[in-house]
Amino acid sequence: MLAPTPFGRVLLHLANLLVIAFLLLPIAAVTLGSLQAEKTLQADTRALLPPEWTLDNFRVILSGGEQRGAIFEQVTYLPDNVKKIRYAFTNSTVIALSVTFATLAMGSLSAWTIARLGYRWTRWLVNASLLARFVPVITLMIPLYVAFRHLGLLNSVVGVIIALTGFLLPYAILILAPYFDQIPKELEDAARIDGCSRFGAFLRVSLPLAAPALASCGALVFIISWNELLIPLILVNKAEFMTVPVVINSLVGDVHVFFNLMMAICLLALLPSVILVLLLQKFVVAGLQVGGVKG
Amino acid sequence: MAIRSEPVAAEALRRRGRRELAPGRLGLVMNLPTLLTMALVLAYPIGYAAWLSFHRVGPAQLRRGEFPWTGLDNYVRLFNDPLFILSLKNTFIFVAIVVVVEIVLAVAIGLLINQQRIWTSRITRVLILLPYAIPPIANGLIWSFLYSFQFGFLNRILFTLGVIDQPINWAGHPETALYAVTVPYIWRTLPFAVLLVHAALQGIGTELHEAAAVDGASTWQRFRHITLPLLLPIIVVILVLRTSFAFTVFEEIRAITQGGPGDATWVAAWYSYKKAFEPPNDIGLGAASAWVLALIVGALAIVYVKTIYRRVV
Repeated sequence: MLAPTPFGRVLLHLANLLVIAFLLLPIAAVTLGSLQAEKTLQADTRALLPPEWTLDNFRVILSGGEQRGAIFEQVTYLPDNVKKIRYAFTNSTVIALSVTFATLAMGSLSAWTIARLGYRWTRWLVNASLLARFVPVITLMIPLYVAFRHLGLLNSVVGVIIALTGFLLPYAILILAPYFDQIPKELEDAARIDGCSRFGAFLRVSLPLAAPALASCGALVFIISWNELLIPLILVNKAEFMTVPVVINSLVGDVHVFFNLMMAICLLALLPSVILVLLLQKFVVAGLQVGGVKG
Repeated sequence: MAIRSEPVAAEALRRRGRRELAPGRLGLVMNLPTLLTMALVLAYPIGYAAWLSFHRVGPAQLRRGEFPWTGLDNYVRLFNDPLFILSLKNTFIFVAIVVVVEIVLAVAIGLLINQQRIWTSRITRVLILLPYAIPPIANGLIWSFLYSFQFGFLNRILFTLGVIDQPINWAGHPETALYAVTVPYIWRTLPFAVLLVHAALQGIGTELHEAAAVDGASTWQRFRHITLPLLLPIIVVILVLRTSFAFTVFEEIRAITQGGPGDATWVAAWYSYKKAFEPPNDIGLGAASAWVLALIVGALAIVYVKTIYRRVV
């Protein structure tokens, strides 16, 4: 890029400020909303900053409604799903980690065969994965509900893990296959000369070398499964098996739950994936760039 | 390292050959978990959805486990339902706005974060990823707080800046609600588009720009005649991908308007969800509408696979 003129620089800084403000607008809203009481929000409907700050919204959520704190003293109603939100955080963590592990394991097995074996049917698997990425979740949900109901997999963490893994495997294949393809085949050949089996060469040589792609893919899969609403929403209706997005969804339209409490739950819900994205920035960017397109 | 003598290598291969699977069979075994899971969760449900759409499926049928054949009845009811036609129309408007705005923003922000000499661009480059991490349903709820007529954060900002003196009901007017829900969706899905543009920009060398500048081309001329043509392939990719994904928007609608006010923001996925999973649970009709959605998106997917995506191997 050519050096901008001084006037151009000012314009570019202003443009950046505008974009940053837009990007941070919802983050500011959720943070400010979660740090104040229902009363302060109602008392002045025009002020940006509250006169008093409080952590009571978080206290009531994290204690499952037992420690109410000053702002919830008068409150008699707290939805069951909020009282049991600890289950939701545990379920979401277990589900996201299991799905990430299962997707990486199965995905790298398939991706390696696509990159190395080059049969017509392994190439077909790439196209199938590409097409699968387009399938609307809502189209899958109706038959999955009927099928999982029949299999007795409704209201089960395992059911959600299976459904999410199947849904995310195409992403994993599309991210991992091009990466395995880039690893020089000679490295595997050398290992085979040394007495390694084909599978051994995959496991001991190519898989460790694919670590950056596994990190990219793992980060994306974790984030998508942590954030996913429709799949657990339709497969689960008991608080014990709900994930965090499902609990958030259950609060929509509940007139007795005020925005402050909802914002606090939203903030807790977005924290893990936001931290992951910021820590693994480089890998997330790489994963997004190859997952959608190649070349 | 010493070069192995041929007999040793041959001996290693021979020894291993006895216990090793043939490549074709190994490939099949290694793909078995993937194929089984994808068959259960993707292939079978797609076919089953089509099957269900030709049958009557409601709570009574689910209990009995028998789904009577109804032929095209679900589809006839679907296309005679003004609400479904409206949902499709709303979806098309939603998609058109989202795709156009997102492409313009992605190119602009992509160029902006590509500025190496501007230090604020580095901040934008980090923060642009943020929306990608936000759970869509939380994003919807946060924006419904932003948009809230009485307590909303957006009105508070405008009051503080002195721009308005009466609160605005952002998502509450039938004429504007559909536009209001495009903003949160664009906010959440922007990172993907920006990153694709950013990656494409890094492939464009500085030589062309420098040569054009020497010839007296203005910044706009350089953008119009050098950058934009080179970005065209990635713009087409974003166009197809975002169009197909935006067709299935659900969470933001669910959290912000629930299809309202009235039926102003009913979209295709919302229609399928409401029909199938809320009383009277007309699952057959829901499946039929979801299949129509899948066909629209499927047509785009085939265009994408056939013409745009370059073969991996």
